[in-house]
Amino acid sequence: MSQSKGITITQSKIPIFAIAILAIVFAVGLFVVGYDQGHIFSVVLGEQAYEDLYIHELTHDMRHAAGFPCH
Amino acid sequence: MKTIIFLAIVLVSGALAGTIHGIANLAIVEPYLDQAIGIENQNLFASGEEEDTPRFWVEYDAYRDWQKGGQVLAGAILGTSIGALFGIVYALSRHVLPQGNDLKKTFTLAGVMWLTLFFIPFLKYPANPPTVGDPETVVLRAILYLSFIAISGFGTVGFYQIYKRLRQNTKILAFAGYAAFIGTVFVLMPPNPDEISAPMDLVNGFRVMSVVAVSVFWVSIAMILGGLWHKFRPDAENPDVRN
Repeated sequence: MSQSKGITITQSKIPIFAIAILAIVFAVGLFVVGYDQGHIFSVVLGEQAYEDLYIHELTHDMRHAAGFPCH
Repeated sequence: MKTIIFLAIVLVSGALAGTIHGIANLAIVEPYLDQAIGIENQNLFASGEEEDTPRFWVEYDAYRDWQKGGQVLAGAILGTSIGALFGIVYALSRHVLPQGNDLKKTFTLAGVMWLTLFFIPFLKYPANPPTVGDPETVVLRAILYLSFIAISGFGTVGFYQIYKRLRQNTKILAFAGYAAFIGTVFVLMPPNPDEISAPMDLVNGFRVMSVVAVSVFWVSIAMILGGLWHKFRPDAENPDVRN
């Protein structure tokens, strides 16, 4: 009577570009929700973005609730 | 490694867990935010900066509805962000996490990251509701908070390297070392420079609900990523079955 044993070998090496993509997502998302004070929209709106604070106001409640310093 | 599957399940799990976090905030944190902003409004009326008129309240309600909706969107963005970090660390550390299925591994890692990247920093720099916080110190507070999180996170990685090199019966020294390290950092880092001007029952209630909601996020992401990883096996691109 023959017995067969199955051994699954997995490759877990992570491509560097996948880590890079996720690292960028991490940094950008953290900045948007936790720290932006008009910086991102200032690229389009100029100095006015620092007065309008659209992203700051949109993420305001989450900033407080997640523990980020807000104002 | 099935890279596209890996990226997809990491980003989806983060976005879903973050959305759950945003909804949890709406349910349990939002009442404290409304109460704190109500105090801000009363201060505005008292100082004469705003008038207590029907028009004010119409504009205020529309503005707050927008912010509350934004909270769910912000939850999805923040969840995707933290989920990306969680995915990187999970993929790199999965083979050294405790034996068992993926759920056991993701919950273990989520517990470690919750403790070192959220809860311990929270004990030093706890969340505050609106009305607490001087706009002049926001950059300093942001730097302090982010620095503490980074120090705790890199400290954890460093002491894990020590943990790996220790013999089985002395591994506890790595935990003790991290505790001593972060305890020292805790004492040496400057405190939040702002005074708390809001009622303490409001502040404490807000902080408790903040911890509960963030914990909901970490439980959610462990559950979702663990389940998706188990189902799609992104690390088994070329299974080589030998008989």
